[in-house]
Amino acid sequence: MDPLLLARLQFATTTSIHFLFVAVTLGLVTLLVGLQTAGYLTGKPAYERLTRFWGQLYVINYVLGIATGIVMEFQFGLNWSGLSRYVGNVFGAPLAIETLVAFFLESTFLGMWIFGWHRLRRGVHLALLWGVAVTAYASAFWIMVANAWLQNPVGYEVRDGVAHLTDFGALLTNPTFGMAFGHVISASLVTGGLLMAAVSAWHLLRRTTDYALFRTSLRLGLVTAALAVTTLQGFGFAQFGPVGQLQPTKFGGGPDRDALVADWTARFGPGDWEPPVLSDVGLGFMILIGFTLGAVWLLLPLLWRDWIIRLKAPLWLILLGLPLPFVAMLLGWIAREVGRQPWAAYGLLPTAQAVSPVSPGLMLTSLIGFSLLLGALAVTNWMLLARHAARGAHDPALGRPPAPDTDAHHQPVFV
Amino acid sequence: MELAWYALLGLFFATYLVLGGYDYGVGLLLARRGPAPGSRTTLTALGPFFLGNEVWLVAAVGILFGAFPRLEGELLAGLYPAVLAALTGVVLVTAGVQLRSRPAAATARARWDRLVVVGCVLAALGWGAVLAGLLQGVPLGADGHVVGAGHLATPFVAAAGLALLALVAVHGATFLTLRLPAAEAPALARLATGLVPAALVAVASATVLGLLSDRVRAAVARPAVAVLLPLALVAALLTARAALRRGRAGTAFAATATALALPAPLIGAALWPRILVSTTDPAASLTVAEAAASRPTLALLGWLALPLVPALLGFQAMCWWVFRGRIDGRAPVYW
Repeated sequence: MDPLLLARLQFATTTSIHFLFVAVTLGLVTLLVGLQTAGYLTGKPAYERLTRFWGQLYVINYVLGIATGIVMEFQFGLNWSGLSRYVGNVFGAPLAIETLVAFFLESTFLGMWIFGWHRLRRGVHLALLWGVAVTAYASAFWIMVANAWLQNPVGYEVRDGVAHLTDFGALLTNPTFGMAFGHVISASLVTGGLLMAAVSAWHLLRRTTDYALFRTSLRLGLVTAALAVTTLQGFGFAQFGPVGQLQPTKFGGGPDRDALVADWTARFGPGDWEPPVLSDVGLGFMILIGFTLGAVWLLLPLLWRDWIIRLKAPLWLILLGLPLPFVAMLLGWIAREVGRQPWAAYGLLPTAQAVSPVSPGLMLTSLIGFSLLLGALAVTNWMLLARHAARGAHDPALGRPPAPDTDAHHQPVFV
Repeated sequence: MELAWYALLGLFFATYLVLGGYDYGVGLLLARRGPAPGSRTTLTALGPFFLGNEVWLVAAVGILFGAFPRLEGELLAGLYPAVLAALTGVVLVTAGVQLRSRPAAATARARWDRLVVVGCVLAALGWGAVLAGLLQGVPLGADGHVVGAGHLATPFVAAAGLALLALVAVHGATFLTLRLPAAEAPALARLATGLVPAALVAVASATVLGLLSDRVRAAVARPAVAVLLPLALVAALLTARAALRRGRAGTAFAATATALALPAPLIGAALWPRILVSTTDPAASLTVAEAAASRPTLALLGWLALPLVPALLGFQAMCWWVFRGRIDGRAPVYW
């Protein structure tokens, strides 16, 4: 087996699972901030119950985001040591900033938020959730800066075969960064909004208790998804210009591509310098899904007098539409990442030079082991999410008020 | 500049071993059968700290990537099997502790508990093997890459893995003595003191095997510092045992925390100025200065770290302060 293929398969598997979860994390935390802030300002208990219910789903989902994220961070060193050796001076900086500025604080805040119910002052508790949300966005920001640099290396110079940082500002103004960041954030909001709407729709269809509660979250989810789907499409189409210009090999033919391939052949020797043939097929399907999701706008007028709930059919449509943003997300990432092959850093470091000189046996063990482990955890996590979503909002474990301490000899109330 | 970043890397990894260490020690103790404290109470002791503990590892690897990119690639790829074990363990513990109480059925919870125990064993063995792998050097070729993974299969690596496992178990039991309700403390203190002899034996055998290993003797630049490590570990363990017997859980925890904080800085100092020592070609060894990122990168990260690191420490300290003290029936339960 070819270590390069194994390393690429492992990165694709881990990253795909990672995105399925972090998109929900980003989307839901934004909605949670809205819910808890509304509860803080109005003092209505309904908002606290909504925060606890959706917060519990958020926290369950968060687990897999961390688990896959840690594996991804280590994978750079394990399987892609060439990446750190040749471009680590530049590419490593945004990743280091992400772990320190964003992830470190995000997890610390989240730990305090989960255990801070009924213990911290309400304002402090709300501030912690804001902290979680802001650092989650910062995390996406820096990861996208790093990814955009691999798409279009800027702000560096090569000395002794190694890239050195010359202009950090160029990384932030990279044309492959801004629109892509907006696109990913919008996609996360669509995913989170649609997930909220779909779970609410299920409860409304089943006529479970808490009609008013799920009516509120249905409306919140739908409006969020509708607003975000518009920015999603905008940021998506806005990328075609700069990406087509900077990566002429990504979307197929043209004289620019032929010139670039000729240039690479002259500089790096003969080779297959074009991405795999089918790399941009998924992009078409993603765009199709994007237009389909735009139909959320057609459902908004039905919010008037709750026609959306009375007619029932729209609720079924929302339920059926839930897998769409997840599929679109994977297709979009495949188009972006496979489309820049055979480069780890476009036009600078071929993927084959970035892979670690590790034996194929070890690489295969790692690929199979982590794919099975993360795959099993992902499925278990979704089953737990589904079960907790179905159980409803009457008493989530998150934020459950502590029982009065009647026993001085400590008979724990833990069940 | 490199030295400052190297110290910061050491600080983050050492803090991870201290904080993640008691997570893993507490997780190991889920393997015990019998009466109170139950698994849920045990995990409630970790409670709010759990998420804030493992981030030290993620940040340490972030610093490794940002400030020492060459070391990051060669270290992780060169010690592949050990890192793989540690990483699998970290993932199992992360998922297991957080999801364990989400299913309602006792059988499902027991299954998660077993996964957490396996994860804690793997994480402790894996990180012990990584530290030992640094001490005994790697077959680093002239092209700057480590050849093969068989170099890790030595008795010293195995003994060091077991030593870290034993240290973590003592640390976890001591943490629980400090944190669980006072009624549980005497039984947990007995458990912790009972584990101390096992840890002493493990540390002693790792020391003997290390002294006998040609590779370790050749790799270590400062033997005095290297020998100081096991002596300090033994002293810390004996201090912890004496304190536990007198019912001073706080002092005992300080001692076990010191024991877990010491390996990273002392190993770094013993190998200085090298970090990856080549067993095959001394000239190919990687020094800290060579491994570091170039000046502009370190300067950029430095300006960022200057205000940031105090803020990170401050928010962690806030978490420890808010949730300090023994847990009781009113402690928030979630894991």
